[in-house]
Amino acid sequence: MNRKKDKGFESPRPYKLTHQVVCINNINFQRKSVIGYVELTIFPTVVNLNRIKLSSKQCRIYRVRVNDLEAPFIYNDPTLEVCHHESKQRNLNYFSSAYTAAVGAVDPDAGNGELCIKVPSELWKQGDEMKVLKVYIEFSLDQPKGGLHFVVPDIEGNMAERGAHVFSFGYQNSTRFWFPCVDSYSELCTWKLEFTVDASMVAVSCGDLVETVYTHDMRKKTFHYVLPIPTAAPNISLAVGPFEILVDPYMHEVTHFCLPQLLPLLKHTMSYLHEIFEFYEEILTCRYPYSCFKTVFVDEAYVQVSSYASMSIFSTNLLHSAMIIDQTPVTRRCLAQALSQQFFGCFISRMSWSDEWVLKGISGYIYGLYLKKTFGVNEYRHWIKEELDKIVEYELKTGGVLLHPAFCGGKEKDNPTPHLHFSIKHPHTLSWEYYKMFQCKAHLVMRLIENRISMEFMLQVFNKLLSLASTASSQKYQSHMWSQMLLSTSGFLKSISNVSGKDIGPLIKQWVDQSGVVKFFGSFAFNRKRNVLELEIRQDYTSSGTQKYVGPIKVTVQELDGSFNHTLQIEENSLKHDIPCHSKSRRNKKKKIPLMNGEEVDMDLSAMERQGNRSRRKTSTGVFELGADSPLLWIRIDPDMSILRKVEFEQADFMWQYQLRYERDVVAQEEAISALEKFPTPASRLALTDILEQEQCFYKVRMQACFCLAKIANSMMSTWTGPPAMKSLFTRMFCCKSCPNIVKTNNFINFQSYFLQKTMPVAMALLRDMQNLCPKEVLNFILDLIKYNDNRKNKFSDNYYRAELIDALTNSLTPAINISNEVRTVDNLNSDVRLILEEITRFLNMEKLLPSYRNTITVSCLRAIRMLQKNGHIPSDPSLFKSYAQYGHFVDVRVAALEAVVDYTRVDRSSEELQWLLDMVQNDPSHYVRHKILSMLGKNPPFTKASESSLCNEALVDQLWKLMNSGTSHDWRLRCDAVNFYYTLFGLTRPSCLPLPELGLVLNLKEKKAVLNPTIKPEAGGIGGVGALDLCANGGIHTPISGFPSSLEEEHLPMEPPPNGVAPAPHGLKRKAETPLGSPPEPVQFTAQEEEDIDMDTVHDSQAFIYHHLNMLERPSTPGKEPPLVEQTLLSMPATPLPAFIKEPSASKHGEHHHRHHHHDHKKKKKKHKHKHKHKHKHESKDKDKDKDRERERDRDRDAHAFTSSPASGRSLRSPSLSD
Amino acid sequence: FIGTSLPSHWNLQSGLRSGSGKTTTSPAENYYLARRRTLQVVVSSLLTECGFESAEKAAVESLTEMIQSYISEVGRSAKSYCEHTARSTPTLSDVVVTLIEMGFNVDTLPTYAKRSQRMVITAPPVTNSPVVPKALAAGQKRVHPPYIPSHLPDFPDPHTYIKTPTFREPVSDYQVLREKAASQRRDVERALTRFMAKTGETQSLFKDDITAFPLIAARPSSIPYLNALLPSELELQTLEETDSSEQDDQTDNENAPTGADKENSVLPPGGVVPAVKPSEETVIDNPYLRPVKKPKVRRKK
Repeated sequence: MNRKKDKGFESPRPYKLTHQVVCINNINFQRKSVIGYVELTIFPTVVNLNRIKLSSKQCRIYRVRVNDLEAPFIYNDPTLEVCHHESKQRNLNYFSSAYTAAVGAVDPDAGNGELCIKVPSELWKQGDEMKVLKVYIEFSLDQPKGGLHFVVPDIEGNMAERGAHVFSFGYQNSTRFWFPCVDSYSELCTWKLEFTVDASMVAVSCGDLVETVYTHDMRKKTFHYVLPIPTAAPNISLAVGPFEILVDPYMHEVTHFCLPQLLPLLKHTMSYLHEIFEFYEEILTCRYPYSCFKTVFVDEAYVQVSSYASMSIFSTNLLHSAMIIDQTPVTRRCLAQALSQQFFGCFISRMSWSDEWVLKGISGYIYGLYLKKTFGVNEYRHWIKEELDKIVEYELKTGGVLLHPAFCGGKEKDNPTPHLHFSIKHPHTLSWEYYKMFQCKAHLVMRLIENRISMEFMLQVFNKLLSLASTASSQKYQSHMWSQMLLSTSGFLKSISNVSGKDIGPLIKQWVDQSGVVKFFGSFAFNRKRNVLELEIRQDYTSSGTQKYVGPIKVTVQELDGSFNHTLQIEENSLKHDIPCHSKSRRNKKKKIPLMNGEEVDMDLSAMERQGNRSRRKTSTGVFELGADSPLLWIRIDPDMSILRKVEFEQADFMWQYQLRYERDVVAQEEAISALEKFPTPASRLALTDILEQEQCFYKVRMQACFCLAKIANSMMSTWTGPPAMKSLFTRMFCCKSCPNIVKTNNFINFQSYFLQKTMPVAMALLRDMQNLCPKEVLNFILDLIKYNDNRKNKFSDNYYRAELIDALTNSLTPAINISNEVRTVDNLNSDVRLILEEITRFLNMEKLLPSYRNTITVSCLRAIRMLQKNGHIPSDPSLFKSYAQYGHFVDVRVAALEAVVDYTRVDRSSEELQWLLDMVQNDPSHYVRHKILSMLGKNPPFTKASESSLCNEALVDQLWKLMNSGTSHDWRLRCDAVNFYYTLFGLTRPSCLPLPELGLVLNLKEKKAVLNPTIKPEAGGIGGVGALDLCANGGIHTPISGFPSSLEEEHLPMEPPPNGVAPAPHGLKRKAETPLGSPPEPVQFTAQEEEDIDMDTVHDSQAFIYHHLNMLERPSTPGKEPPLVEQTLLSMPATPLPAFIKEPSASKHGEHHHRHHHHDHKKKKKKHKHKHKHKHKHESKDKDKDKDRERERDRDRDAHAFTSSPASGRSLRSPSLSD
Repeated sequence: FIGTSLPSHWNLQSGLRSGSGKTTTSPAENYYLARRRTLQVVVSSLLTECGFESAEKAAVESLTEMIQSYISEVGRSAKSYCEHTARSTPTLSDVVVTLIEMGFNVDTLPTYAKRSQRMVITAPPVTNSPVVPKALAAGQKRVHPPYIPSHLPDFPDPHTYIKTPTFREPVSDYQVLREKAASQRRDVERALTRFMAKTGETQSLFKDDITAFPLIAARPSSIPYLNALLPSELELQTLEETDSSEQDDQTDNENAPTGADKENSVLPPGGVVPAVKPSEETVIDNPYLRPVKKPKVRRKK
């Protein structure tokens, strides 16, 4: 187990970082480049420290010096191209494991890194353990694709006038993208940060701004920051731009920054930040740990909120004026989130990736407490229910979210999450959606812990953790206290048991160490004779994403005499539970009925009596007897949501109605509303209408009731009496007394009724008449609302309201009656649709002249137009959306337009649009938009693995493969999005549209000639697959010899580097295959392949060195002819063999085969190696014919492996036996 | 002559005043003419006294004019002296001083008045002093409040300061009004957007008829977030209007119409802090507000 008891933190590195200087001398907005240096102060912890591995991506490194001595270095990043060369594999299983291996190979948490520096021998020969080393690295970044984002608007003026700015971003630990560092959350050090920027700009970074000094020419200034609190590199950030500065009026150590012209919005938006501060400081009884706090609002933000040590970067789109209602709670939530992460996430960092859930859990939990305090208990419970529903749905769909994966001892075979198409071993291999759900589950589990040990203890634990950390933070490095600032699962659990004295082991085991949720089915019967409620609770723990629950469960029974809680024990085999009823069946009609909260209410019990007269009711679950004799009003299972569960409970419609009307808990009300959808009766209608009108009722419940009422009305269509649902209600609430067809002039001072006013038309538009059309009356009603909308006297903006009215119009649309597939023209436009289109045109055009906040109206209009197209009212055409999707529109508009294009792509199966979208994924300047396109494509895919489509062709497979293989190496999130999309389209195995590889192989076997399957491009085939084969061969060799899974090897590798520089292990071979090819080479990349050319013991002139290697990179690499093993002088890259292959049981069977292959390769490599550099581009064609056979052979081999290792292998028709 | 002329002088003056004030009112004109006629008689008798037998009308007119001017000037001047000494009614001494000031030898006056050959003319017919036309009887004339000394001038006529709004019967039918406002706005919007669409680039939803439902073409902007986030001018205007109307109701103690401050004032802790804020503002020590330092000379590298 990796949950070591009371063990302190053990660094995976042979040294400890204590201080780092980051100095960026120049930021060029025109060229989007950055030049600077870093200096890391490290204490070796082993006697002979001869290699230092650091994280660095996409930086061009000019020179490295250790204690003023030039040091040779190697820069190798296997994640640039995950699978090498034009492999024809195209199998996601294969990719995923290769990707995991690649990420693991440079994972700083495991002590690895892309940059390997050889400590000059003069230094390590001294062998003094506590001798400080200073590693000085000069680097530059040119047009960075990740890590730093430049926003440079294309207008007149200097950079400051144009509002150009740059900021750091990334998903999880991504600081290595913009400066070399130890990019791990567990390596803390103090910081000195210096940024020299144009005099008109401000550089905002972590820590205290000590001073700002002009350069000698007075055109630039240098911002000097010092961060004395030990902080991990991933928590360092930077934002530079012509920001407007606002010192918080309530807290002068807090400074806010926004882009020019937005200061008024910033002032308003930030006016309540101090309350959040006060709240957190109060509940944690701990002062904010940093001496200052900065908020920066930037354009084209990667995520809405990102927290770093003592600063947070937000999307500028969170800013709003006082007139905006809907954005206000959203923004406040974002601020609260950012601030909670300052305490847990930035100040207290995680020990390892598997401890991430603790930090996300705590920050999410205290954020929840803030929600409860600010927005009220109803909002909080509603939010918890929403989150619970989300996680339940996700887990049931995908098969589970595991909070604390135990990656012990390299037993990779026991993949904890075999149901997922990605590995959860590293943050960077996770799908984004999974990560979001992970965070969601984490805070829900924290809440479960709170339920168990009480909030008081919970806060004590947090306080304890914080005070330990703040004591540690003020210590010098030498005191070895800094690891107190790292939080681990075991540390957290220990703290809990110390503080509360309670054992939460079972809870942790259930929800943290294990994935899945619980699925309950409940039903009941009332036994009149025994006056007992017979409750039956069954579980489904066999379907994916579920788990078995054993333990207590709370059941609340509302009887006539009051509400009673019962705690039942869910055990292995007991399904039935008898609960004695308290009430005598004879009701006293006059008596008030006490509720759970002590309130006593009068209820109209006639519904119950009517039910009684119907006597017995038979349901699928058996007979239950209700009626005049039953004292049961309603029953709730697990009302406090203290289990991560889904409950499907059966009770009679009148019981749901009582629950809706009289239960005071919003969660119960919402559950009742969703249950009532199945009971379209006048009684349900009445209950919903009453709730709608009741002003004490939580507004979100009322909003939900609107939609339920619409559904019920549609089900009751034939028996519905009176005006359309909600119409008279709306009229009564929002229209003028004297003229009921005209809505009052807007006054949104009462937010509850504002939200209701917004929602009711949208729900009403869902009503349908017998012809399945939206009733004319309703449509006219909505059109009148638009017509008479008058906002002149309102102090709030009505943009969201108007947008929802357009949404209502959209909802009213039904498919056009299509006569003989004619082309849609203006003339045959339906008259109602004409009216709708008229409104949409006017709104959309007005928006150009008077844009609304966040262009909400344009967004709604675009959706409406797409709906018109989809329903066949107007010709389907993506060009309008494509123009709105261009860079330069507001991001919400772009996303809405892209959503329409995505939808068009699916409906019209347009390869052109799909291509257009994929081009945008590769080229759009905004990272968020790129991510959004892929995630929308994933949600609404043009086709899926289950369906046939003309779009599914080899070119698309190649394109997507390339995208995830090498095209997205600068953005972890995007790469995972691409993987997700690939999975949605093709599944885990080889895409079906690709030619059967065996076909080509069989031919080869028989003819031994270069007859290729015509669908495989010859040149691709020439190179293809060899990298994969190498991997294969490697794995094959390994398995029989070592018998160890690769991760073990990785673990002991750091201790292994030989002092003489001779490679001990064959696994280095694989590295060589990893020369990036086909992807634009990164400026400096030294792969093991070139090692023979690097004299590690001499000092290189950096420039010459770089160019030399750049040239080398440009030649096509021929994997079949790698230099021999001996050249692995600097073997520092651990091998990353594919687990799938290694653990392949059949591998041993093939072992010999591989050996042979390997030697074969080996020889060839030696042979070819000599003339390698001379031939460069040429040899490929020369040797082509010769190589082809070999290649094909390997191809076959590899495919055979791929299939046996894939989960589908058992079923695969393309059995490897063919090749044997 | 003096005996009769002095009161006549006063009357004359007031007549003149009223005459100059209201040029065409006939009672005042009559009154004025009657005075003039008396003066003419006086001039004529003086001429007779001096031995003239006849005089041209024009000469008499001129002399009348002169004597009228002279008397007027005496009256005006005497009133000035009187007011100079903070009185409201002139006394004999005022007149005497005036006459002296005008270069008239007062000592000769008693002898002249007692001359033997003087003619006695009949007093002018008693004409009712012109009734000051009843100005618009709007409201009650206000009396001085107790703290204003009674000698100070009365309040002017109420009609000069009481506003009497006049209005047409408003269109009271709310429905019609809303209808009108809605259709008016819609017409304006439609005309405007049509115009914009006609004059600029457009996009169309239909291929067969690109003029139906023209959409103003989407044009990317360099800084899209500005338009999307900042309130439009129209909205700002509305905000100001609603703000000012609200502040009328309240007693606004702050001159900060921004929404932010307003919202704060609702919150209990927020209400207190801004009061302290201005004084503190001067001592805020924020590193970002500090002046940028000059480079040190000894910087190496």
